[in-house]
Amino acid sequence: MLASLNRATKQYGRTEGVRDLTVEFPPGEVVGVLGLNGSGKSTVLKLLAGLLFPTSGDVAVFDGPARAQRGRVVYLGETDALWSWMTPDDAATFMAGLYDDFDVKRYRELLASLAVPRRRTKAMSKGERGRLRLAMALARDAKLYLLDEPLGGIDLLSREKILQSIVREWHTDETILLSTHEVAEAEGLFERVIYLREGRIALDATAETLREHGKSVVQTYREVLG
Amino acid sequence: MTIERTWPIDMNAGPIFVQIANHVRQMLARGEIVPGDKLPSARDLAAGLGVNPNTVVHAFAQLERTSVIETRRGLGTFVRGDAPVAAMRRDMLRTAAAAFAVEAAALGVSTPEALAALKEALNAG
Repeated sequence: MLASLNRATKQYGRTEGVRDLTVEFPPGEVVGVLGLNGSGKSTVLKLLAGLLFPTSGDVAVFDGPARAQRGRVVYLGETDALWSWMTPDDAATFMAGLYDDFDVKRYRELLASLAVPRRRTKAMSKGERGRLRLAMALARDAKLYLLDEPLGGIDLLSREKILQSIVREWHTDETILLSTHEVAEAEGLFERVIYLREGRIALDATAETLREHGKSVVQTYREVLG
Repeated sequence: MTIERTWPIDMNAGPIFVQIANHVRQMLARGEIVPGDKLPSARDLAAGLGVNPNTVVHAFAQLERTSVIETRRGLGTFVRGDAPVAAMRRDMLRTAAAAFAVEAAALGVSTPEALAALKEALNAG
């Protein structure tokens, strides 16, 4: 397994992020992590990213504790923490200094295909910043990508560009976990979908199998989580 | 071969790989592509349609198994010279006819009536 949670629970004070969650991710899967707000999507990704530590249970990545693998996992968080003075060139210097696996050539190609302007981030639209952040994340050469809401709150054309870049950049031995509320737009990309409800798995299924039974990922979302 | 989002992928209409394979067959049956034509790469097609590349690979594998396309090493994927185009055209015509028959039956019209309507539509088209 590339990554797994084994009976993992994460409590924040009284509220639980995830509860007794067991799930495995083999290499080479594009997984949709779906659920309503507060269902535990971000917690799952943060646990795998090693940014959170489970209250109980284990979280393993590349056969080691997730915490020890932080430098080898790509995590794109929900919050836009880009410095306002940064240009895409500055971001490249920053990322290359931080991560050995940052591929500058790939980054340049991504900036072009995502049509990221070369100005400072403070002069960019939300969609442009979202595209820049995705380029920064996908330009790293890793085996596990954790993308938390990369489509959140940005315009339709940016969302399409982002989905296309993910399709183009994904290598068959890499696993991508993508959480999103834009289920209809992203569902074609997912091979597997995990529906979370109150920190537990409500359904874990192959997208094409759902469709074989005449139900889209969106329709299943309504039935499982509605 | 165009790979715009005009390809009708319907998430509620069964597996995507079946829809992609059927669309290639339909393009062949309609003469929009012909034997010998090169198909886009799985990745280009996947990016164009916004679907997982594995889904396109799955569709191509099915088309390869049914002797519609072939992969030439290092060159890409092509419609086979002996692709069964006539058979595909016949199958699609039958499918369309069956759908018409179901609708006619649902409307409760007689066979001569249905045939007359069909003839009229064919002449109009």
